[in-house]
Parts: sequence; structure tokens; C-alpha cells
Amino acid sequence: MESLSLLLHGFTVALEPMNIMWVTIGGVLGTVIGMLPGLGPATGVAVLLPLTFTMGPVAALITMGGVYYGAMFGGSRASILINTPGDGAAVAATFDGYPMTLKGKAEAALAISAIASFIGGVLATVIMVFISVPVARFAIKFGPAEYFQLFVFALAATASMTEGNRIKGFISMTLGLMIATIGIDGQSGVKRFTLGILELESGIDFLIVIIAVYALGEVFKSFKNIAEGKKKVQKDFGRIWISMKEWKRSVWPILRSSPLGFFIGALPGAGGTMAALMAYNNEKQMSKHPEEFGEGAIEGVAAPEAANNAASVGAMIPMLTLGIPGSGTTAVMMGALLMLGLQPGPLLFQQQSTIIWGLIASMFIGNIILAVVNIPLAGALVRVLSVPPRILYPIVLGLSFVGAFAISYSVMDFYLLILFGVMGFVMGKVNIPATPMILAVIVGNNMEQSFRRAYKIADGDLGIFFRSPISLVLFILTIVSILYPFIKAAVVKGKAKKTAS
Amino acid sequence: MSISLLTGLVTFILGMSYTLAAVHLPAASVGRANEPKIFPLALGALMIILSISLIGQELVKKGQKEKSTGDNAVFKFDTNLKNISLTVLNALVYSFLFAKAGYVISTFLFTGLELVLFSGIKKWKSCAVIALSFSLVIYILFNKLLGVYLPATPFIWI
Repeated sequence: MESLSLLLHGFTVALEPMNIMWVTIGGVLGTVIGMLPGLGPATGVAVLLPLTFTMGPVAALITMGGVYYGAMFGGSRASILINTPGDGAAVAATFDGYPMTLKGKAEAALAISAIASFIGGVLATVIMVFISVPVARFAIKFGPAEYFQLFVFALAATASMTEGNRIKGFISMTLGLMIATIGIDGQSGVKRFTLGILELESGIDFLIVIIAVYALGEVFKSFKNIAEGKKKVQKDFGRIWISMKEWKRSVWPILRSSPLGFFIGALPGAGGTMAALMAYNNEKQMSKHPEEFGEGAIEGVAAPEAANNAASVGAMIPMLTLGIPGSGTTAVMMGALLMLGLQPGPLLFQQQSTIIWGLIASMFIGNIILAVVNIPLAGALVRVLSVPPRILYPIVLGLSFVGAFAISYSVMDFYLLILFGVMGFVMGKVNIPATPMILAVIVGNNMEQSFRRAYKIADGDLGIFFRSPISLVLFILTIVSILYPFIKAAVVKGKAKKTAS
Repeated sequence: MSISLLTGLVTFILGMSYTLAAVHLPAASVGRANEPKIFPLALGALMIILSISLIGQELVKKGQKEKSTGDNAVFKFDTNLKNISLTVLNALVYSFLFAKAGYVISTFLFTGLELVLFSGIKKWKSCAVIALSFSLVIYILFNKLLGVYLPATPFIWI
């Protein structure tokens, strides 16, 4: 009940005309950015970040929230129409969305993706209303040793879940932690790895690393795609809506996939991409006609779309309640929170409940606005897809430099931006995933500080990290998350042997 | 040499140099003298272990003579390298000019050159128009409406 009264209070904040305006602007801009190939919600929030610098914390968070789920709504537009997902979370929407377009059913695909996104987003926000206070309350029990174990778990899970070579995932994580150690050490005042450069003494701002990797790195990668030419976009649509039959086929997949997406999103490291793919496979297995999947089955669009929007809400839980971002986008949002002087974590719910509940309430409003924007106006919005990338990418470059400058008003950061942009590109080339590094850069400093605080409390006894039940459980979770891929491989092998014999 | 093997070698060197630098960090004058070193030393050690495992993994793969696909592809940069180097160079010049020439002029040059790089020199007129409108719109939006200070351009009203 307490949550409900807090939520009501949140609505009084979110329904202020200015805040409704910000969530609309954020949502529309997010949709547009999310639509563009290669630019996902993380890039969207990173590039649009400077817009929020002069706002108050509530308006800034509401705007960024709008950009985030706007990008999730928009991501599938390009998947459906030109088979080019805006980001990883929208990949699953290409499986059946594009075949639907080829069959002349683009309208139904666009409509169901917006409807599923809306329901997924709203259901997930409802779960969030009831779950966030208990989680925050539980997190208050965490001391520095528990926090250290939590950081280790979150990072290990993220690195371990990266696709491809897992060692590279951990290399990426270590690289990020190394970057976080640069600068004056907060506890002893010792200068570390500053190479004698004055500007490095205050450390490397993680927002610079984020903008560099997500915006500059993406532009560098895009040079290749531009040469490949561009696909034609369907511009004329009939009524963007679905039939009763299509709705009946989609409603259960949507209702099943939303909670699934929420909980996957709340796990560290597992974001919208995994949620969408899992929901898709789930529905394919449960379906009475699995042969239609991949040929334009409407539930094949509905399920992943509901799941990835729900996941984007779920990812906010660890970020807001524990101060641990579970995905690239929530990492950027956490960076923005820190810039506003707010420390995400359990105390945030006690001290800044207006801001938090204003944000949660605005998620309901934002989802409604985005459904309205994305269904009747979808035909107009997708025209953005016909703006050539050769114009868009230079603009993204321009925006990243403004963003970097607005963070510190220092041109020195430009050089870091270029350096990390090149690094992001090279990492992509050698298949080192960027996400573990980004998360590590953000939590690295806090992680070391919790380690040292616990170390000091225990007077140098490392046993403190394994003493309380919470830290023990977290330690076991870390081990499991590192070993999980091996366990899974062993189980698959065992099954294969059984069927063979 | 395969991409992963090269990655292993580079990260090994990185891990070694980071660890060496961590060993030579000055002692803290308050509290335990070695405290600022513990975490970096652990990171350095972790990086060395990871890079050695990556190299080991690659050598084992090589021993099994697996066909080189995807991850094992031979390290080679494509033709985009030229465009990327030009972009980096352009960005460095931009960083240098930013405070001196002011936001509008430096950004006009930077985005203009990028647009030309992406679209080809034939379209320089439309590139110039887009670059000028972009730099003016952003300047007015940030400086006048959002209150984010951007370096003013000498001799011009903006």
C-alpha cells in the first residue's frame, strides 16, 4: 500500500505539464534515434545527455527515461521495414517482422510491435512499483564487504554472458577497471597512472568513455555500411492496426513475455537482447504452428517486443536500488544521475522519493504517449529512415563532441573522446565486447572503495568478504555465473549422448 | 597471426606494464602504505592471467588445426582505415581549433569535412549548407536556450 501512495505522489510530479512535455520530447527523439541502424538506446541517451544538463533532476531523469523506452519502441521499426535492427534488442523483431513486410503486412507488424511494447512496458512498470521498495530495503543491509561481492558478481555475470569468447569478455572488464583506477586515489591522495598529465588527476569521466564507445565507435564502424548502399523503405501505409484474429494470436505471448523480459532485464548483464531472443524461442516452442515462425508469424513480433520493453524497465531496478547498472543504457543513465549529484542506491528511495516515484509514474505516462506516437504517426516517423546515413553520422559525431564538452567544459576531454572512440572501434574489430568495460569503468571506483573500506574495518583480514550470509551467497553466485557456460555445455552434451544412445 | 593471438599478446604487454607501474606507485602517507597498490596489482595480475589463457586457448586451437573462420580470421584492416584515420585527424584539428576559433566556425569545418568524407566532394554545396545549419542550430540551442556555454566566435555576434 505504501508503494501505491508513493506512486500517487509520483503522478502529481509526472503530470506537471512541463514533465509531460519532456517525456514526450524525450520519447519522440528516442524513437527517432532508436530507428536509425546501429544507434540504440545507449547511444541515444549518451548523445542527448547534454540536453538535460540544465534541467532539474526530475525533468532530466524523466527525459532520459523517455529517450530510453522511446528507443526501445523505435528500434523495431527498422527491423520490420528494412531488416536492419537499430540495436541488439531489436534483432528478434527482424525474424518475423521483415517477412511480414515482404508479405504486405507491414501495417500489422508495426502496430503489433507498438502494442506489445506498450503492454510490456506498462506491465513491467507495475511489477517495478511493487518490487523496488522491498529490494531497496533489503539493500540497506549491505555493508562494504557485501557491496564489493555484489560488484564482483555483477561484473562477472556481465563478462561471462557476453557472446563469443568469454575470456575476451573478462579482458574487457579488467580493462574498464584499470581505466577506473586512473587519477588521484580518494582515500590516500596518491596519484595513480596519471602519466604526469594534470588533467588526468581528476580521473577519466566515464561519460566520455561511454560517448566515445557508443557514438564515435559506431560511426567508425558505419563507414563500411555506407558503401554498401541503402535499402528502399516503404513509405505509404494503409491503416496501421491489427485484426481481431491477429490480436488473439498475440495476446498470450505478450502477457507471458512481459514478466519474463522484466526479470531477465533485472539480472546484471542480461539485457533486452537476451530477453527478446528468449521470449521468441519460448513462443516458438510453445506454439501450435512453429513452422510459421520465421515466415511472418505475428506472435513472433509481439513476444520479443513485449519482452525487450519490459527488460528495459527491469534493468532500472538494480541501477536505482543498488547503484549497479545492468545494461549499457542504464549505465549511461546512472552516469547522468551521478552528474546531477544523486547517488543511486537504497538511500535514494528514502531521501529522494519524489524523484524516483516521479520517474516511475512518468514511465506509465511515457508508454501511453509513445503508443499514441508510434501507431498513428508511425507512417510519418519512419520517413526518418530515408534520411541517408551519410548525413546522420556526421551529425552524431558533432553531437558527441558537444556532449563531451558540456560535461566538463574542457577540450582535454576531446582527446580522450577520440582515443576511446578508436579504442572502441579496435575492440569491436578484435571481438572484445564493449559492455563489460563500460560497466567496469562506472562501478570500478565504488568497487575499489568498498573493498578498501571492508579491508580497513577487518584490519587487513580478507575473511570479511566471506563472513556474512549475503556475501557468501553473492560469492557463490559469482562462481556459478562464471561456470554457467561450462555447466550448460555439459548438460547439452549429456542430453546429446542420451538421445544418441 | 590470428586476431585472438594478437589480442592476447597486446593485452599481455598491457597487463605487464600496468602491473609494473602499479608496483612503482608511491606509498600512501596515511593509513597502510601499500593500500593504494592492492587493487591495481590484483587487476594487473588478472589481466596477465587472462591474456595468457587467451594465448593458450589460441595455441591449442592452432594445434588442432581448426579452419580459420570468424574469430580466427587473419588480422587485417579494411579500406575504411583511410576514412577512420581522416576522421581522427579531422577530430584532432577540431579539438585544437575549438576554443580558439569558437564553436560555430570550428564545428562548421569539422562536420562539413565529415559530411564531404561520407558523401563525396561532388556534394560539397549541400554539405556546407548542412554543416552551417547544424553548427548554428546547436550553438543557439545550447548557448541561448539551454544555458550550456560554448566558446564564442571572435569578431562575430555569435
